[in-house]
Amino acid sequence: MIVCVAVVGHQNNPLYIQSFTEADDALKLHHIVHCSLDVVDERVNNPKKSGPTLNETFLGLLYPTENYKVYGYLTNTKVKFILVTTDLDVRDADVRNFFRKFHAAYVDAVSNPFHVPGKKITSRTFAERVSTIVKSFGLSSAS
Amino acid sequence: MASFLPQFQSIKTSSDHVVLAVEDVSDLWPVIKKGFEERLPFKRVSLNNKTRNPVLVDELPAEFILTTDARLRSRFPQEQALFWFREPYATIVLVTCEVKFTVSIALFQLISLSSAWLRPLALREQLDLDEFKNILKPRLKLIVQNDEREWFIVFVSKAPAHNDQATKMAKKVYAKIEVDFSSKKRERCCKLDMHGPDANFWEDLETKIMECIKNTLDRRIQFYEEEIRKLSEQRFMPVWNFCNFFILKESLAFMFEIAHLHEDALREYDELELCYLETVNVVGKQREFGGVEREDDQATLLDPGKKALTQIVQDDSFREFEFRQYLFACQAKLLFKLRRPFEVASRGYSFIISFSKALTLHESILPFCMREVWVITACLALINETASYYEDGLAAPDVEKEFYRVQGELYTLCRTKFMRLGYVIGYGLNIERSPVNSASLSMLPWPKPAVWPSIPPDASSQVLAKEKMILQESPRPKHFGIQRKPLPLEPSVLLREANRRRASLSAGNMSELLDGRPIANDGSGLLSPLSKVNSISMTRNLSSPGNFDGSIDRPMRLAEIYVASEHALRNTISSAELLKSLSSVEEFEQKYLDLTKGAANNYHRSWWKRHGVVLDGEIAAVYHKHENYNFAANLYEKVCALYSGEGWQNLLAEVLPNLAECQKILNDQAGYLSSCVRLLSLDKGLFLTKERQAFQSEVVRLAHSEMEHPVPLDVSSLITFSGNQGPPLALCDGDPGTLSVTLWSGFPDDITLESLSLTLIATHNTDEGAKAIKSSDAIVLRPGRNNITLSLPPQKPGSYVLGVLTGQIGQLRFRSHSFSKGGPADTDDFMSDEKPTRPILKVAKPRSLVDLAAAVSSALLMNESQWVGIIVKPIKYSLKGAILHIDSGPGLRINETQEIEIEKHEVGSQKESNLGIPQEDTLSTPSSEAKQLTLEDGKIKLPDWTSNITSVLWVPLQAVSDGLPKGTPAGTGVPQGQSIVDGLRTIALKLDFGVSHNQSFDKTIAVHFTDPFHVSIRVADKCNDGTLLLQVMLQSQVKASLTISDAWLDLQDGFAHAGKGDGRPASSLFPLIVSPKSRAGILFSICLADTQAKDEAKELHPDSILNIRYRISGSRNLGAHSPVAKELTGPDNDEAQNLTFKSAIELQRPVLDPCLAVGFLPLPSSGLRVGQLVTMKWRVERLKDSVENVASDNLDEVLYEVNVNSENWMIAGRKRGYVSLSTKQGSRIVISILCLPLVAGYVRPPQLGLPNVDEANISCNPPGPHLICVLPPPLSSSYCIPAA
Repeated sequence: MIVCVAVVGHQNNPLYIQSFTEADDALKLHHIVHCSLDVVDERVNNPKKSGPTLNETFLGLLYPTENYKVYGYLTNTKVKFILVTTDLDVRDADVRNFFRKFHAAYVDAVSNPFHVPGKKITSRTFAERVSTIVKSFGLSSAS
Repeated sequence: MASFLPQFQSIKTSSDHVVLAVEDVSDLWPVIKKGFEERLPFKRVSLNNKTRNPVLVDELPAEFILTTDARLRSRFPQEQALFWFREPYATIVLVTCEVKFTVSIALFQLISLSSAWLRPLALREQLDLDEFKNILKPRLKLIVQNDEREWFIVFVSKAPAHNDQATKMAKKVYAKIEVDFSSKKRERCCKLDMHGPDANFWEDLETKIMECIKNTLDRRIQFYEEEIRKLSEQRFMPVWNFCNFFILKESLAFMFEIAHLHEDALREYDELELCYLETVNVVGKQREFGGVEREDDQATLLDPGKKALTQIVQDDSFREFEFRQYLFACQAKLLFKLRRPFEVASRGYSFIISFSKALTLHESILPFCMREVWVITACLALINETASYYEDGLAAPDVEKEFYRVQGELYTLCRTKFMRLGYVIGYGLNIERSPVNSASLSMLPWPKPAVWPSIPPDASSQVLAKEKMILQESPRPKHFGIQRKPLPLEPSVLLREANRRRASLSAGNMSELLDGRPIANDGSGLLSPLSKVNSISMTRNLSSPGNFDGSIDRPMRLAEIYVASEHALRNTISSAELLKSLSSVEEFEQKYLDLTKGAANNYHRSWWKRHGVVLDGEIAAVYHKHENYNFAANLYEKVCALYSGEGWQNLLAEVLPNLAECQKILNDQAGYLSSCVRLLSLDKGLFLTKERQAFQSEVVRLAHSEMEHPVPLDVSSLITFSGNQGPPLALCDGDPGTLSVTLWSGFPDDITLESLSLTLIATHNTDEGAKAIKSSDAIVLRPGRNNITLSLPPQKPGSYVLGVLTGQIGQLRFRSHSFSKGGPADTDDFMSDEKPTRPILKVAKPRSLVDLAAAVSSALLMNESQWVGIIVKPIKYSLKGAILHIDSGPGLRINETQEIEIEKHEVGSQKESNLGIPQEDTLSTPSSEAKQLTLEDGKIKLPDWTSNITSVLWVPLQAVSDGLPKGTPAGTGVPQGQSIVDGLRTIALKLDFGVSHNQSFDKTIAVHFTDPFHVSIRVADKCNDGTLLLQVMLQSQVKASLTISDAWLDLQDGFAHAGKGDGRPASSLFPLIVSPKSRAGILFSICLADTQAKDEAKELHPDSILNIRYRISGSRNLGAHSPVAKELTGPDNDEAQNLTFKSAIELQRPVLDPCLAVGFLPLPSSGLRVGQLVTMKWRVERLKDSVENVASDNLDEVLYEVNVNSENWMIAGRKRGYVSLSTKQGSRIVISILCLPLVAGYVRPPQLGLPNVDEANISCNPPGPHLICVLPPPLSSSYCIPAA
């Protein structure tokens, strides 16, 4: 289950963060997303480590923890997308697919002329679209 | 083969280096042993690895063992093959040649090494070389062929240096040996000269030993490889035995290790691990997992010898629990040898994670919380071990960072598990419910033992103690009365989980029934956000007796769960240290703090700064709890800086109140104030209004009371400001203004600012410091949008943007750099580096703001009071309150009795002047209505309604001209230039205007004044009776119509009026209207008067005066107009309006008629020549009767005189003389003079003058002198005839 998706700006400021847990514990997800920026930073700053994948937007699994997984995606404008899932066996292809859709939604949202770049995304349409994408996560490949 | 396992283990422990066999019988070894062993261990050795690539080994330890040693005694062949790695890698055959004996003896000794029966031969004193060749050589060859050993011969020569013969002999024997045992491919001999130089020997020896080792190694690798390959082919067959495979594989690995080829050894272990993992979980084979023995909870992942392999054999394989740790330990050992502790750490971390998963699979058979305990011990062991091996600078910087990161990860993992254990035994209240703890714990499932441990007997006192603890502990209230739902630390309610795990064994799942809610849907923390109080009350509900059937296990209360868990844990944990850490809350907290610190410190040294800082926050929380506020505040500050720097407000809102509390307790007023302001500037949704009001009241309280010194503070995110919408305020140079600024207050309530100032920054001129504009009045800011106006002193030209807002609240000096974009205050002020460049103020470059000009360009009446119009034209600038200074120049005076009028300028320029002023103003101004103004001290204040429109100021002025205008004779034209300059007057004007009269405009305007007419005269006709008709022509000089009502002449002496004698014109045509710029004429009849009386009156009337009484009807807008009425109340308006114009006319007495005319008669047409006489003739004719000489006779003597230039002419005859001429009119006479031209060319002819007659009375024809042409003299040939 995806518990949280987030968009983080190029200055590592949160632009959009949405948790999908029923409990009122979004703050811990904020923490996870925030800390995962360390990993993104590390990958970006250490081109040697990331090697040939540097040019790729999909950063892959950021955290190999026991109880949840964090995936990252970095756009050309250094906007990061973070996905936190409690699903422990996730296929990379699914995540890639998810991020691609998410990226498209993000691009549409920030293309809104009323959106101030660098500000939080408040668009309701975006939120709805994201939740649709989250719900459909993993379904397309399963069928 | 598995039975060899114990033996294998013992061999492994006993042999850990390369063995080199030494064949020595003649006691040579003791002599040379020292030299040989000094070479150990071998340095910088090149060996081949598994893939036959050379590897440089820095140090290779080895041991020389005599073949007679027990360790090399014969073994069983199978054993030998299996443990081949311990067999000698080279055999060194020692051969000597003593002086006493021949070389051959030594050789026999060599042979006797392996064949005791040859020994008698060695005793022979003499053995010649032939014999050696025949008997010993084949024997030797047999040995070396039969054996697979790598061997070579060391020939030890004991021959002393001085003994030539012995040396020679030794050489000879050595040569022989070389021939026999060395081949082209391989040198197998070397020679040690005991008494001679041995420079090359040791090198040679080492090379040979290495060659042997290398070859042996290669061969053995090949052997093992082959064996392993064979075995692994059967991997998935039932006959497969992992133990066998393991022995072979590890033998190979061990051999590599002996040879210090650690990389290869490591690879073998890696392969072994892979193979194990592949085969261990083959379906159908249920094996014991292990881990149930005492002390199994302590990880052995770094100690391969902790548990003997024989103990963990399980059928044909090993128990997973122990064996995987063993394999990792072996790998770790090799990695440490390779000086790669960082790799141990990173491999270890993944190992722990994956092993922890394996433990989860077997959790039901393992002791309670075995997994958690194992992970804790494993992490700690790994951390300590790798840290002890790790030295700074050992690895590249990025590897180092990675190492510290992994250390941090290990600490974090350990910390998480430790917290979990603590929670399970009831220390949960001591764990900060922070996001980081919640993130790591709430998604981590509870331990899943098959059965949740039940309460040990006789534990009631402990249960009571726990219960007491639960009741006593109450969540620490947050500062500012902030109330938050605590974050969950538990994936689901422990009470239910524990009871479910117990109850599931019994008939009914009671807790589920009680809840009426399926547990499966109990997502992470559905109930977890319930506050502690709720949990406790629930505990009581559940513990209320009598609700349950005694036959079913009564659900445990929370305290009981804690006690049961603690009891079970004590059984699980074997480590005294860990037990101690869990023994009390204090110990728990100490360990918790240590782990957190460890993690944070390591993260700080890695790339993962955020992790480190966040954990610092956890450390701070502990310090905070223990009232160590100083440390806590420092750490909290770091956390807050991290969160606020990146705009993670939600997280910041969690920590900042804690920081504020610490600062308050520490009496750090500035810090506390800053924290309060930061709290206020956070997103409004993060705190309740009540809480925000609490922040504000703290700010106000501190600012006004407690602080002694002013505290500067940045409130950029709390108070933002922007200029007003719309175009920037435009000011002209030097003008002050009023700037209106919008302030957004983030305070929840009104707040009073004692002062406020705002800097303006010039956009193009950076050298100028920002200028502050101040408002010293107290300003009350309402929450949200406020409009503030600030008065603006004059600024330099340029455009300005808003800079910094500063102000004061009590002792708090705040400043704000932030701009709101207008519209609703943006809560996300993070991107404040986007400064708006929209200018707020534009100060124009100096330009003309007003223009003053004369209203008319045409001339005004001289000597009359005239309205002089001054056009005051504001150029897009308000003239409100302007004051005009008027300074009339010489020849001009202001008619002060008259009021000055002002009116709107109506001419075509109106359109322009109305540009840019609001329509209303135009409407409100009295359109062409004139206003009266008075002049005070040469100043006039302009009325306000004229401030934006072009107006005309009418000033009554009188140009003074003393002289009378002069008439001119007709036909000479009007000397315009002269009269214009005469009539020019200047007025100096100075306009003070602007908001505070700061602007000034000076201008001098010129005004023309002129007389109404230009007068010219001529005598139109002359009557026979001597009356002259004098025509006076009047040229109007003004743009106004002039009505002449009367005109008369005051004649000068010598003239008299003819006719009526009143000096009026001959015919009465008055009134005569003269249109602008047109001419009129008046005829006067005059006659020459008697000149008798002229002597007396001569000086009185030098000129005649023309008087004209006229009226003028013109518009002041165009030019001359009727003079400013002095007394409009006069009895006779007509009379009053009549003006008199006087002009002097110079009348000359009529010129007398010429009475004589002199004419020059034409010269002969042949022309004049030099030297040729010519007769000049003048005719003198009397034109009129001579009046004077009437009385005399008819003849009059006329004196003549010829005036001539004597250089040009020669006169023949009298130059001067009298001729008589009749007095009658028409009498004439010709005077002839003979002249001789003297020079050729154009010369003046002689002139005839009449000296006695006034020149005026002579009429000459031609009147002026002229030139005549004189030709040169004709050529005279007589003079030129040459003498023949």
